[in-house]
Amino acid sequence: MTITNTAAIQIVTLERPALEAVGISKRYGSREVLCGVDLIVRAGQLHGLLGPNGAGKTTLMRVLLGLVGRDAGDVHLLGQRVDATDRRVPDGVAGFVDTPAFYPYLSGRRNLELLARLDGHRRAEGAARVSDVLDQVGLSAHADAAAGGYSAGMRQRLGLAAALMRSPRLLFLDEPTSSLDPAGARDVRALARRLADAGTAVVLSSHDMSEVEELCSTLTFIHHGHVIFSGTLEGVRMLAPPQVHAMHTSDDRAALGLASYRPGITAVRASGGGLEVSAHLDALDEYVIALGCAGIAVRALESRTRSLESLFLDITGDADGAEATTASRLSLAEADAPAVIS
Amino acid sequence: MLRGIGAVTSVECSKLAAQMKTRIVLAACVAGPFVFAVAMRVQSNVPADTLFGRSITESGLAVPLVVLGFAALWVFPVVASVVGGDLFSSEDRYGTWATLLTRSRTRAEVFAGKVVTALGFSLVATVVLALSSIAAGLLVIGHQPLVNLSGVLLAPGPALVRIATAWASVLPSAIGLTALAVLASVATRSSAAGIGLPVVGALTMQLYAMVDGPEVIRRSLITSGFGAWHGLLAEPSYYGPIGHAALAGMLYLVVCLAIAHHVLRHRDIGG
Repeated sequence: MTITNTAAIQIVTLERPALEAVGISKRYGSREVLCGVDLIVRAGQLHGLLGPNGAGKTTLMRVLLGLVGRDAGDVHLLGQRVDATDRRVPDGVAGFVDTPAFYPYLSGRRNLELLARLDGHRRAEGAARVSDVLDQVGLSAHADAAAGGYSAGMRQRLGLAAALMRSPRLLFLDEPTSSLDPAGARDVRALARRLADAGTAVVLSSHDMSEVEELCSTLTFIHHGHVIFSGTLEGVRMLAPPQVHAMHTSDDRAALGLASYRPGITAVRASGGGLEVSAHLDALDEYVIALGCAGIAVRALESRTRSLESLFLDITGDADGAEATTASRLSLAEADAPAVIS
Repeated sequence: MLRGIGAVTSVECSKLAAQMKTRIVLAACVAGPFVFAVAMRVQSNVPADTLFGRSITESGLAVPLVVLGFAALWVFPVVASVVGGDLFSSEDRYGTWATLLTRSRTRAEVFAGKVVTALGFSLVATVVLALSSIAAGLLVIGHQPLVNLSGVLLAPGPALVRIATAWASVLPSAIGLTALAVLASVATRSSAAGIGLPVVGALTMQLYAMVDGPEVIRRSLITSGFGAWHGLLAEPSYYGPIGHAALAGMLYLVVCLAIAHHVLRHRDIGG
């Protein structure tokens, strides 16, 4: 009987999302930073948290990690309700917000050993775990140097190591690659992917839209403290305006005329020659078939893949207000490189 | 809860052990009385304007009492605040609150562990200073009988008991002052304020004690306990001031820590 009950409890626990935050509100004085934010992330999901500066992403992560008190709402982490006042982070939950900070007069290794002690690890067990996570983040060579001499990128790696020491089943990462070189960023992305594949729920806050696009299957857009979208990457693309395609045909003038009669198609002459066609894929397919039926050959069709950032700016309708960083603009440029689909 | 407090205390002690300031303070507590005793022995002048200063070359037992009198003015406030006034605000200085509070410990456990460390350091430093003073007096000058404040000659054995009790009598005040430093550290989030305010506060209280004022205020000053031991070295001995000092120390402890805990518990980290 006892075994049956335990099994039932385990099943219930497994079915709950790793992160379940409902109606989270936070106000600083008269400024409402979070307004009834809901966020649900399941085990094994890599969930992106997106929004312009000041949207409330970091505050939301602070609330979820118990660093900032919430004015309203409920938070369940790994099935455990997080008390609004005591705010203890449950075992199996880890992460960092902003660039992680450590005691500068201690070595990186010693910092981790003390954190392991706080987590209840015994000395020998903690030392072995520390060596393991230092290897995972590629910091073993610098582990015995004072943390005060670490670069921002090394601190970010050490922060990731500190999070990994908790064997996380729910991991919060706030801009985890912002200070890393390209190789380091690639390693961290691969690590995040591996953790998610192993069943860890990962919440990734980032300004780098291409990073989120590459890693995350689900995402939440936050704008002025409100969730304006939460769902799959495909879902947000459905909400976005039609994609723009560059098209070259055997008779651009006739193709332009045909487009004017077809619903869901907007075509204009491109400055460099050819046409710019805005359409959802199904309408575009029908248009291309219609061109063929009309004896007009399609010689080239290039999709200018819209980056997540473009979609975000479209959805928020706040292109001027969204303070895209230089880095994200660079990533936008990369993402906007045309991909030939025909 | 106790396991959590133990873990935090252990971590805080390891951090303290790695810091130069802790080692310097403890080294000064050990070496200071010996340097003082040697200086008294080799020079012809004595600190005649301090209690037991005149006796310092006649009995080594006067050394711990002279050190105790001097410590009341400067050393206890500094010892109380150098750790207590920095233990919380250093997390602000290094930006490590988020690192600390995202482990498996509640804020209450973190607070309690840090307070235990701060109080423990004050107690250890005071005990080390007491033992070092007694050892310096006995080893450098000798264990001659001591003339007490009423002019009665005390044999070394009974004198040592009274000296040990005198040092023990300042512990509640040292604890109260440490709690004040903790409050300053938590409330201001500044190590400069956390260390400086208790020192300045202690000096101000000692200045106030020199002017006329309501007795109830005088007795409620945390620094009143640093002179309460005088009654132990009189004939007959009187203990009233020690009792008042103990009460004042406990009052400061409870009130300061309650406020500090409330502030830390409701604080938004980095928000």
